[in-house]
Amino acid sequence: MYALIDCNNFFVSCERLFDPQLEGMPVGVLSNNDGCVIARSEELKALGVAMGMPAHKIPIAQRRKLVLKSSNYALYGDLSGRVQRVLAQCVPALEPYSIDECFLDLRGMSGDLESLGRDLVKRVEREVGLPVSLGIAPTRTLAKLANHQAKRMPGRPQVCIWPDATASALDQHLRQLSVKDVWGIGARLALQLSDLKVDSAADLRDAPESWLRKRFSVVVARTARELKGTPCIKAQDLESPRRSILCSRSFGRLLNDPQQLSEALRHHCQRAGEKLRRDDMLAGAVGVFLRTSHHHPGPQQHYPLWTTLPFPSADTVRLNRQAQQLLERLWRPGYAYQKMGVMLSELSPRRHSQPSLLDGCEPIRQEALMQAWDAIRQRYGREALTLGVQQQQSAWRMNSRHRSARYTTRWDELPSVRSG
Amino acid sequence: MAISHFATTTPSRDRSSFSVGEQRGASGFPSPADDYQEAPLDLNRYLIPRPASTFFMRVSGNTLNNVGFHDGDLLIVDRSQKALPGQWLVAVVNGELALYRLEGQGRRWWLRGGDARQACLPLEGDNDYRLWGLVCHVIHDCRRPG
Repeated sequence: MYALIDCNNFFVSCERLFDPQLEGMPVGVLSNNDGCVIARSEELKALGVAMGMPAHKIPIAQRRKLVLKSSNYALYGDLSGRVQRVLAQCVPALEPYSIDECFLDLRGMSGDLESLGRDLVKRVEREVGLPVSLGIAPTRTLAKLANHQAKRMPGRPQVCIWPDATASALDQHLRQLSVKDVWGIGARLALQLSDLKVDSAADLRDAPESWLRKRFSVVVARTARELKGTPCIKAQDLESPRRSILCSRSFGRLLNDPQQLSEALRHHCQRAGEKLRRDDMLAGAVGVFLRTSHHHPGPQQHYPLWTTLPFPSADTVRLNRQAQQLLERLWRPGYAYQKMGVMLSELSPRRHSQPSLLDGCEPIRQEALMQAWDAIRQRYGREALTLGVQQQQSAWRMNSRHRSARYTTRWDELPSVRSG
Repeated sequence: MAISHFATTTPSRDRSSFSVGEQRGASGFPSPADDYQEAPLDLNRYLIPRPASTFFMRVSGNTLNNVGFHDGDLLIVDRSQKALPGQWLVAVVNGELALYRLEGQGRRWWLRGGDARQACLPLEGDNDYRLWGLVCHVIHDCRRPG
């Protein structure tokens, strides 16, 4: 048996945990740079504000009635980790799937599923304080659908259990469910399937596997088998190793000043380097892009430039040096840039790296330098050590005017409790 | 960038785990203290046995000075523990987080604030949605004035 646990309206729930005034109000969380709505409370959904809607398109009269927050990933990330820690104490194996979803492997767990599921949900809600819903089924694909169903249940705890893939109630459900709502079947694939008379989840389940494999892909065939109740999508399929790393951000306003661009690039290189080392990888190539805005008249530029490193590296200083050279080549006077990013590619695990006699490899000194670098930033904060000066108020920094405090990760931003 | 010396650094999360292997003195002889080696006292384990459900908060206001909560004090709040009568908790009252003491008699439970003249708030059982977490410790910086 597998379970999928999902935090309801995760970002909004995180905001409400430390700001109870938001309870019952229409609340939305905005994407990086305060662009679009990326999370909505039930009350906001009821007002008809769509997912992905640009904040400035919400009518002013409506905007007064609701609360829009800038995203606070420091807070969300911390709470997501807490949810996983609580679950890890209860089940033998855990596969985090996204910031707010987690698959649980329940094989070998004794006791009845109903009370197990209710316990898990109650425990997370009590210990971390976030509402969650849970689906349990013989396969991950079915567990995902069961979770979807649990979310629609009134009252708490929201738990939906389909212990038997052949049960008639489940069959009924799959007949009514459009194939595009099945995990891993996107809108495009659903259209192609629909052309061949595969419209519902039950149609996909009953289609011949060999035909699906030939006509579509092995993944679609496996999905069909999962709907029948045979687990065949593995944990490894979910966490495919990273093939590239991207660090990019829109600027707070349009920019052309080479010094500010260079500062922003140093910031991105720092982050990219840290991601790389956290996964214990080396990068073989670096790319940089500078993007102008579609909405702004004037010359447009979008393309990236790439360069190959002389040898695979995870050294922020080296990555930055290469990236800065690319930036010099990309930059054009008079262009109004809106976004910049650094990409790392040709990633290889550090432990498999084979030092080549001719090409050389990362000097031990640089590895040690980066270890010290990461340790200092982890211990004293990210502002303690940076590549060159990076000002807090720079124009390239993102807009996050409505961000709540980083309640769980900063001593000077802890929630305050009124005494008496 | 020329760097000639590196200090070894240990990520902070590893400090709680220690190795039981022998520690050699500078001369290479085993230290006579080896057999008595124990883990250093870890304040994290002492104060925060359940990190996933433990949150830090700051006291605001001086109303509860007489019971030991001062403005700016650090609270260690655990959501996983059930409160008993007489214990302090963080509760959600009027849309904000506030300190209250849990009191009870028989099956009736209520919250009492620091001000004795204030009316107490009756609770709907021990799962009342207003209970945020149990205050386990308060850390007061004795060097601060006030």
